[in-house]
Amino acid sequence: MHRRLPLSFVVLGVIGAAFVALPVVGLALRAPWGRIVEILTGPGARTALRLSLEVSLLATLCSVVFGVPLAWILARGRFRGRAVVRALVILPLVLPPVVAGVGLLQALGRRGIVGSWLERVAGIQLTFTTAGAVVAATFVSIPLVVLSAEAGFRSLDPRFERAAAVLGAKPGYTLRRVVLPMVAPQLVAGAVLAWARALGEFGATITFAGNLEGRTQTVPLAVFQTLQTDQEGAIALSLVLVLLSICVLVALRDRITGTG
Amino acid sequence: MKPKALVAVLLATLVLAACSPSSSTSASTNGSAASTELTVFAASSLTSAFNEIGSDFEGANPGATVTFNYGSSTDLATQIASEGTADVFASASGTAMDTAGKDPGVEDRADFATNQLVIVTPTDDPACISSLEDLGTPGVQLVLGAEGVPVGDYARQMLEQDGLTKQVMPNVVSNEPDDASVVAKVKSGEADAGIVYTSDIASNADVRGVTIPTKQNVIATYPVAVVAGSSNADVASSFVAYVTGSHGEATLKRYGFGPPSG
Repeated sequence: MHRRLPLSFVVLGVIGAAFVALPVVGLALRAPWGRIVEILTGPGARTALRLSLEVSLLATLCSVVFGVPLAWILARGRFRGRAVVRALVILPLVLPPVVAGVGLLQALGRRGIVGSWLERVAGIQLTFTTAGAVVAATFVSIPLVVLSAEAGFRSLDPRFERAAAVLGAKPGYTLRRVVLPMVAPQLVAGAVLAWARALGEFGATITFAGNLEGRTQTVPLAVFQTLQTDQEGAIALSLVLVLLSICVLVALRDRITGTG
Repeated sequence: MKPKALVAVLLATLVLAACSPSSSTSASTNGSAASTELTVFAASSLTSAFNEIGSDFEGANPGATVTFNYGSSTDLATQIASEGTADVFASASGTAMDTAGKDPGVEDRADFATNQLVIVTPTDDPACISSLEDLGTPGVQLVLGAEGVPVGDYARQMLEQDGLTKQVMPNVVSNEPDDASVVAKVKSGEADAGIVYTSDIASNADVRGVTIPTKQNVIATYPVAVVAGSSNADVASSFVAYVTGSHGEATLKRYGFGPPSG
């Protein structure tokens, strides 16, 4: 590590780092530090923060409940079209969130292919509801759980499972007592990343679930709306998200970079 | 590519990215040295009308190229102060123009159009809406522009003046970022009704409009002005004159705008 790096590399690296750091520095410098507590404890911000926690945690739960079994199938299953399924599952990660929102409307909106049926049969409407915000956040965050959990399952030596089976453990028991504990670190990492993604979700939420204080207006939507009238307030709210994201990245630094 | 060249390219990209407005529609690019490029910041409700006025203006003024940046008037006013690239500002509200008037300042300010509010419903009108009062029927799912977005502020102002706030506001299910999003939510049938400008639905057959009587309605007045410090002040002035002139008025009328009052 003591070899000198080429100067051009250092320059490019510094530009790269500055480019990423500048917006954060900008937020910190322009933040209304004098009234930040007052802003963040105000009724509007508190409602948005509470709702954001609720929605992002529920979305994480849904992502884990459906994502982990899916990851297991992708890691251990032998079936045609597995590559297609995997690509589909990862799609929300690269799709523009607003496109995700439009897609969700076509599927689960009041006139969507499944949504119209949901409303007619069960009287359930997802658009403009907190449940809809959870659906939107789950859609964009489930790939992170699947990716991380699948990597975990794949890195696990199948001989552990075979050994458990030889010793008489049923598949469900093996999964619960052998496999899941061994991949717990990857599951936690996936869940935390999914949570962070859900917390920052904007485009799919406003497109699919709408924007109403106390019901669907999470912190990113509140930032957007506050920006219309009060830039300092929007910056204060933004900083909360920046801070939470940094906490997540610091907590997961080993998993993400592979170094300490 | 040599590292130095790469650095230069990257720097150029950074600078360009920093300068480019969020959503610009370039009428034409790569103007020759003799041409003048005019950057017009305009309220998103003006999109269709101004695209046409822009190309008409270019036709009447060879060498001039008009580039539009459409968005919420409030956002645009903020961008004008921070970016300093706008030559002309056409706002959907006097308040946003006042903001730009304070920083960086405006010249030749004139009202050039008016717009009224209208109720929109899906074509099959599932909630049976035929008046403003109907919006207060329990269970109606109404979408408005968000507070601070002119179309949302005007709608709230109208409901307040008609004494319908208490009845209608509980039915609001979403506060949308702009008028186009309100129309989209209604068009898709997610919402039962929305309140937008008449100009938003003038060329839109996919939604049903319910006229709001003049005595219940509010009139939105659109001001246009040359932004102080414009490097093309002359062309900017003639664009403003073109918009406020008879040709501009005729085009605006076709897109559902009324003449400026008074």
